[in-house]
Amino acid sequence: MKNRNIIIIFLIAMIFSTKAMEAQNENALKLRGYLQTDQRMLLKSPNDWAWNENRLSVKLEKKMKGKAKFYSEVWLRNIGLPNIVHSSDLYNKNILSPWNLEIREAYVEIYGLFSKNLDVKIGRQRIAWGTADKFNPTDNVNPYDFEDILDFGRHRGSDAVTLNYYFSSDYSLQSVFVPFFQPDNLPVGMFANLLNMNMELPQGLVLKSFTDQVSTPRYNIGESSTAGLKFKGFARGVDFSFSYLWGHDGLPFDAYNTLVPFDTLGGVSVNAQLYFPRTHIFGFDFATSLGGVGLWGESAVFLPEHKHVMTTDVSALYPASPVPVMIDSVMLDKKPYAKFVLGADYSFANNSYLNIQYLHGFVNESGSKNLNDYVVLRYEMKFFEDKLKVAPISGGAVVTDWKNVKNNYAIFYVPQITYMATDNVELDLTAGIFSGKGDNLFAKLADYNMLMFKMKYSF
Amino acid sequence: MKTVKLSVLVSALFLLFGLNANAQDANTILKKMDDVMYSAKDMTAKVEIVLIDKSGKEKTREALISQKGTKERIFRFTAPASQAGIAVLSLPKDVMYLYMPAFGKERRISSSVKSQGFAGTDFTYDDMESKPYTEKYTPKLLPAEKDVYVLELKPLSPRSQYSKLILKVNKSEFYPTYMEYYDKGNHKLKESTYHFVRIGKYWNAQEIEMKNLKKNHITKMIMSDVKYDQGLTDNDFTVRKLKE
Repeated sequence: MKNRNIIIIFLIAMIFSTKAMEAQNENALKLRGYLQTDQRMLLKSPNDWAWNENRLSVKLEKKMKGKAKFYSEVWLRNIGLPNIVHSSDLYNKNILSPWNLEIREAYVEIYGLFSKNLDVKIGRQRIAWGTADKFNPTDNVNPYDFEDILDFGRHRGSDAVTLNYYFSSDYSLQSVFVPFFQPDNLPVGMFANLLNMNMELPQGLVLKSFTDQVSTPRYNIGESSTAGLKFKGFARGVDFSFSYLWGHDGLPFDAYNTLVPFDTLGGVSVNAQLYFPRTHIFGFDFATSLGGVGLWGESAVFLPEHKHVMTTDVSALYPASPVPVMIDSVMLDKKPYAKFVLGADYSFANNSYLNIQYLHGFVNESGSKNLNDYVVLRYEMKFFEDKLKVAPISGGAVVTDWKNVKNNYAIFYVPQITYMATDNVELDLTAGIFSGKGDNLFAKLADYNMLMFKMKYSF
Repeated sequence: MKTVKLSVLVSALFLLFGLNANAQDANTILKKMDDVMYSAKDMTAKVEIVLIDKSGKEKTREALISQKGTKERIFRFTAPASQAGIAVLSLPKDVMYLYMPAFGKERRISSSVKSQGFAGTDFTYDDMESKPYTEKYTPKLLPAEKDVYVLELKPLSPRSQYSKLILKVNKSEFYPTYMEYYDKGNHKLKESTYHFVRIGKYWNAQEIEMKNLKKNHITKMIMSDVKYDQGLTDNDFTVRKLKE
């Protein structure tokens, strides 16, 4: 509690002092940020609260004579709803009002180090790859931040070293090195189980309890690091890039399950051992404008370093067996598979905008057999000198099995109204309507149709 | 009969030469205006954008602009806080990039955006473009007024949002003083007035006021801290610089 007060006092003091400095000197430390509240309510009675987040984002930036830049972004948040179980919890403000502090980015970038064409960035940073909107199959340097499952494409920063070498104004080479592996973080709150895989048990068995152990790569260069290269160019009006990343899957794979009888009625306890397999990722993307239409494409070919086999040990269910009883299932072959996005957009003279994307493979999908096809569409209109933005058509569709579409599909409709109440106050009202069947993320969201309200004050 | 034919021919020749001379004059005036507006090698300035709605309520945006020649430009917002850091890089052949700090990367924007309003102002991306008028319009000389030449400009591109522009050009210094914009239905859509001042050897549009007649909305663009010919190079107009 004492720490929290100190942090808040420090942040407020910093805001005032840097604002005063900024007013005096353009090269002074710049402070920007926003305060945002994000509230979501389920539409289904009794209208449970689905999300509560109050976020203070503080961004500090200082440029040093055009030779270097320091940048950081910190989130101080109250997130989640009180989860009070015991009376003792009433003594704990962290349970009554859960909060956290997160360093999203904190890096120094040095321009023209050793050579005028070389920029070096060291520290926690977001390394955003890809040209598509929000859904970027090549964007795998940073771990995904799935905390808010509806904020697709959000990533956390990685502690990394990035070198950018500019051959000319049109061609550059980027190399990245991330020494420590950081896995994706999973959704929280009522969406916590949305990314969990369905566990298929032998017939007659019922899952009664589940435990797991996660093995992270050992922290050394060979096992835990991620490294990548990206060559970027511009020719004949087309922006393009080729990339290679030596990384890991950010979501764990199930390697070994042990089934133990829980009761005499077929109930079993499952213990799973999970790990993060090494993966090679080859990427390509392009963006251009043709006849006023913006066009882009992005593809990533994933090549698992090893064949991924899940072993299920059911020996405990067959005590009379003289040998261990194991069932092996190939979860991911050592074969390449490709995710890709194709997209187009157009800005109309009446201040409206249309954006459409086709995706093969969503952010949480891997393996050629598990990739689904999505179409995402958004049409938005701006009114009153951009003060009011309305997206009446916003959503998409997915089909997970073309042979049985009526049981394997999802549609989602996410209309949105955004109003700039003042220059720095943005109000946002969004509905999330989901419908579908089968094993896909959006079909799982069908129980969570909701109304979302955000207010953001920028400073 | 022969005399009639000859006089028709002479009249036609006069008309032809007359028109040609007229067009040449209009072209010359427009070329001179381009020279006045775009003769600096490069320029940097602070820009204050004042938006005035029909009730007279004002909002202000601030930006920094860097420009080299007529085809390379970076426009970077510094205020209000909700827009600070957003930047647009314009390069030759309608190549444009938008940088939004929240996304941490540049985004190529399609040329269709040119007909849209620029950041809530009454200027479109097209209006903001510093492409010489001689490359965008065919001029026709209209009867001059006291201190100004009056030109009618017809767009060369069929994709232009305007059917024509009426332009007034100062007779002695050849900078624009006033412009009318007509939509495809030939209705007057907007009008702009210019206040030029001399900075060193160049004329600078210190204040431009654009009025949208349909919306009864005004945008004033006021330049300050203008610096010319500082030796900016192509390297100052790259995605690398956009993200700095």
